[in-house]
Order: sequence, then structure tokens, then C-alpha cells
Amino acid sequence: MTAFGRRGSAGLMQRLRPTRIDVADLLEVAEVVLPALAGPRLRVELVRRSGAGSVLLVEEDERSVRADLAELADDMTGAGVAPTPEAMTAALRSWVAHRPVTDAAAAADGIAVLDWADPARSAVGWRVVVRRGEFTPSWTPLPGTAAGRLDEVRSTATARAGQVELTLRVEGPVALWSHPLLPVLATTALAAPGRMLARVADAGLPVDDVHVVVTPQRPVACAARSVAARLAGETSEASVTLPWARLTTLPWL
Amino acid sequence: MSVLPSSGTGSEVLVPHWLASTQRLQLAAAVRSALGDPAVHPVAHIHLQDVLTELHVAAARDAVWPASAARVRLATGWDADVLPVRLSAAELTAVLVLCPLPDDLRGRLGGVGA
Repeated sequence: MTAFGRRGSAGLMQRLRPTRIDVADLLEVAEVVLPALAGPRLRVELVRRSGAGSVLLVEEDERSVRADLAELADDMTGAGVAPTPEAMTAALRSWVAHRPVTDAAAAADGIAVLDWADPARSAVGWRVVVRRGEFTPSWTPLPGTAAGRLDEVRSTATARAGQVELTLRVEGPVALWSHPLLPVLATTALAAPGRMLARVADAGLPVDDVHVVVTPQRPVACAARSVAARLAGETSEASVTLPWARLTTLPWL
Repeated sequence: MSVLPSSGTGSEVLVPHWLASTQRLQLAAAVRSALGDPAVHPVAHIHLQDVLTELHVAAARDAVWPASAARVRLATGWDADVLPVRLSAAELTAVLVLCPLPDDLRGRLGGVGA
């Protein structure tokens, strides 16, 4: 998955032997697509510079992003976006949907999920994300954000995570939580450990010594310590196993 | 389909045995049948319980991380319901010695007729 989404890709052959996206073609598409993407607080427009190429400007509240259209065309080529109007339109929509999350959006719609805390994927921490269609960009607080504001956004995001409807599958001694549409939301099950344990108990599983096995973007598994160890110990995939009581002590990223 | 450790005594290495859904159901039924025998030694009883746990854990593992088994199935041409069931040497021995297994499943697990 790139900032241009999956739909823009023309498949394996296009990725292996990409056809160059021409900046003039991208400009033509952008002029049609961008006005429809703007909103009351979202400014999306092309800035034409004399003697230089166009710049795509996205501004929303305190956040803004600029991208040179020629560089964007190169990035799309590298990501395997097909040089068709439809694919370029989808890629532009995806790029705008990946814009930074504003403080207001995080406060109004933020949801707490677990994400990798380090590049080595050895630890996890909480992060605030918002839903934008099929995407879930994360909120990055600006340096200097007041501690009270941070706490407010994070605590409301945690409460909101507890309301996300998840699918519970019981596989013998293992409870598996997943989200039917957005895999990243599976870990919202862990934002309200009390609710999670109650549902595990309702499913007939023992709640003594419950451990969780977390791989961000994948279903979350809950089981007794020995079962969780067996589950996670026999895969080459990265995961973190921890007792449920530690969930509320994990850091914010 | 599976490779047994040369010396499994005391080993905690779990070896994958790729079993289709029907074979996993047959294995679960055979293990439950053996567990119903009061003559089964308590230690073997624990190993057989762990086999039942593993049958569930194998399905859970595939639900959380489907990619690795899917790669093997793609390479081998096995059906989509074939999953790796990972057993220790002690668990496998308990299964082969104590459980009434169909011949093809016994062979698949590395017992007589493999």
C-alpha cells in the first residue's frame, strides 16, 4: 500500500516495467479532480509558478502539505500507477486522503489503535487514527502541543475505540478480534480491556492470566499465557505478546 | 509432509504437519477418543490435551497470519484448507501410540505406512 492506494496500480507487470506518468497528463487530471476534493476547511489546489512546474497544495486548519507535481508524477510512476486518467484520479484522491490529520479531526473522530513502536517491530504503542473512507491516517501531534490537549484527544480516542464494533471469533481456547473492513481497527478491542475480558468470559473462555498477541493491522488474539505463547512462538511473523493488564500502560506514539 | 526430529526426547521443537480440514477433524476425534480412556497415563493425557489445543491454535494462527501458510500452499498446490499443525515429539508420540487413526492420517503424521 502506498500513498496512492491500491486501485491506482495496474498490477505486477506495471510495477515491474512501469510506464512513465507524464506531468502534463497528471496536470490535466488534477485540474478536474482537485476542485471536487476541496471542502469547507480543506483547500486543495494547484499553484502555478512562473518558470517552474505546478505545485499541489493541500491545507486544512493548522496542517499543510505541498508537493511538486513533477515529483508526484515520478512517485506515481515508481508506485506503479497506470498512466490512465482513471488510475491517476484514484492516485490523486488517495494522496489527498493521506494528508495529515488535523487536531480538530483527531479530537472529533480520533480512534485509539495499537501500532509498531519501532522499526524493528519489537514493541507496540497507542496511536490516534481517523477513518477517511478506506484509509486510516494517523494523527501526529505538533511539537509544543499542550499536555492537556494531548490527554484530551487521546482519552476521547480511547473511549471511541471502545465503541468500535468488532467481530469475535472463538477458536477453542483463543478469542480472535477483527474488523470487517479496516484491519487497523482490530486492536481497538484492547482499548477497553474490561469490555474485552467480559466478552471473552461470555464466550466461555477462562479469563485468568489472559495474554494478548498483537500484530498491528492483523486480528488480535487473546488466550491464556501458554496458549498465547504457542500461538506466537511458532510463526516467523512479527508480533508482541503481553498480559492484558499491561495494555493501559503502553506508551503513546 | 513432515519432518520428525531425529531425537525428540524432551525437545520443545514443534514440527509442522500439513493437514486438511478433514484430517484435522479426524485427528481431533481420535484424540478425544483416547482421552476418554481412563488407562491413559496422566502425562500422555496432558500431551493429548495439548494436541487438541494445537488444532485450534493452528486455525487461529492462520487467521492472524495467513500469508506464510498461503505461500506454502501456492508452492505445493495444496488446497486452501491445508494448515500446518505443529506438534512436539512427545505430542506426536502420544498421538501415534494412543489414538485410533485412519491409515492415511497415520501415514501423514509420520507413523507406520508413511
